[in-house]
Amino acid sequence: MPKIIFVSPEGGRTTVEASDGDSVMQTALANGVDGIVAECGGAMMCATCHVYVDDDWTSAVGEASDDERGMLDFAASEVRPMSRLSCQITVTGDLDGLTVHLPDAQI
Amino acid sequence: MAFAPTDETITIDQLTRDPYSIYRRLRAEAPVVTVKSIGRTLLTKAADTRAVKDNAALFSNNDPNTPMQRAFQAHTLMRKDGEEHMRERMAMTPTFSPANLKTLWIPAYEKLAGEYLDRLPRDEVVDLFPALAGPLAARILAIILGIPDATDEEMQYWSQALIDGAGNFGYADEPFARVDACHAAMNAMVEARVPLLKAEPDQSALSVMINAEDPIPFSQVLANLKIAIGGGINEPRDSLLTVLFGLLTNPDQLDEIKRTGNWSTAFEEGLRWVAPIQASSRCAREDTEIRGVDIRKGEIIMTVQASANHDEELFEDGHLYNALRPKSPHQSFGSGPHHCMGTHLARATIGKIMLPMIFERFPGMQLVEPEKVVWWGFGFRGPLSLPVRLN
Repeated sequence: MPKIIFVSPEGGRTTVEASDGDSVMQTALANGVDGIVAECGGAMMCATCHVYVDDDWTSAVGEASDDERGMLDFAASEVRPMSRLSCQITVTGDLDGLTVHLPDAQI
Repeated sequence: MAFAPTDETITIDQLTRDPYSIYRRLRAEAPVVTVKSIGRTLLTKAADTRAVKDNAALFSNNDPNTPMQRAFQAHTLMRKDGEEHMRERMAMTPTFSPANLKTLWIPAYEKLAGEYLDRLPRDEVVDLFPALAGPLAARILAIILGIPDATDEEMQYWSQALIDGAGNFGYADEPFARVDACHAAMNAMVEARVPLLKAEPDQSALSVMINAEDPIPFSQVLANLKIAIGGGINEPRDSLLTVLFGLLTNPDQLDEIKRTGNWSTAFEEGLRWVAPIQASSRCAREDTEIRGVDIRKGEIIMTVQASANHDEELFEDGHLYNALRPKSPHQSFGSGPHHCMGTHLARATIGKIMLPMIFERFPGMQLVEPEKVVWWGFGFRGPLSLPVRLN
């Protein structure tokens, strides 16, 4: 199973196993990772599962769609070029080791 | 295992007047409990309410035995699931896009907020419920929905009639007769706008729905607008009044928020403290279990987000308003596919515009006899008045 690494704003790393086809947001919730709220449950309506994709992974993960970029305007923390909504990143074998950084706040 | 215990003592009147002391007891003693007077199984722990709402595959919104369908003269998206719900919801979504909020609705609200604050009298006692919170919520909603000719009074009257009808579990005649009369007026108002918006489309909900490439049936356009009218006034109204009450009764917190400018935090805390929508219904599609309690297929579950927001596992002294408490997510906007469509609008307008604006205009605003403010409601809850002196 692919591993996903969540890095807290303070720098703490949490490594969890993900299932192919789940989103990174679902992976975080299923493993009790603090810092992902995901109010809307993955419908791209809330901007509370915001993550910063690690520099090493931005090309593998790809860019946000225009709709996702628009929704990121409502994110509680600063939006950066590597900002994504983690509900829109689907886990595949290619993302084994994916590292995402959690923002200071989701609400 | 066993089915949920039944509580035969809790009355609807008690839940309407003082629900939080009951929920505190239930969280400790019976977090999954069937309340006989309600005829539903209440969930009062945060983990359970969230899990049920996030699991739409197992817990349906279609509670067949409510007066809502009768009151709304329609089967609305609030009680639909899956693709059917999503299609009707997505029909309105473009109106609430981030771009529209930023360029249209938030600037419109800011202008209106200034105008409505300008009308308030100074140096006398004024009740902000009828003088500000209700009419302002009605006005911005009428604009966003695409029925700007509806007056503040009409919007509020219709909204209350829809709420009273949907909550008419005793199936009394009067609430249904009252809401039926409102339907006639609402339908006429909407139908008159259709040709105008066909000719000159805008970003309002009515326009977006009727001008879509593959529009939903007009009956559901009407139903969607009425859901927005029924649900889009009391929440912004009650949340604003609740936050103002919280801040004005905690002047030390108010001073700190003024210093830091963290109005959004003060707003979120108000939503947590007294959720404007306190409870929601879901229907179990299969036999299942929650917290070790057996749930039968077809059993109606009430997720009590009001109680989840006071859960001792997440919040210390949750019964107190504390704008300075550590951030922790509340469930007042719901979660899952029915997550509140007005969330971003509410956060941007009340949290970021109204709160700083009202305290800048009236830095010496004072509550008048806060102990006399009555808090009311089981399904929906808020203060029935907010008398203040503005200066």
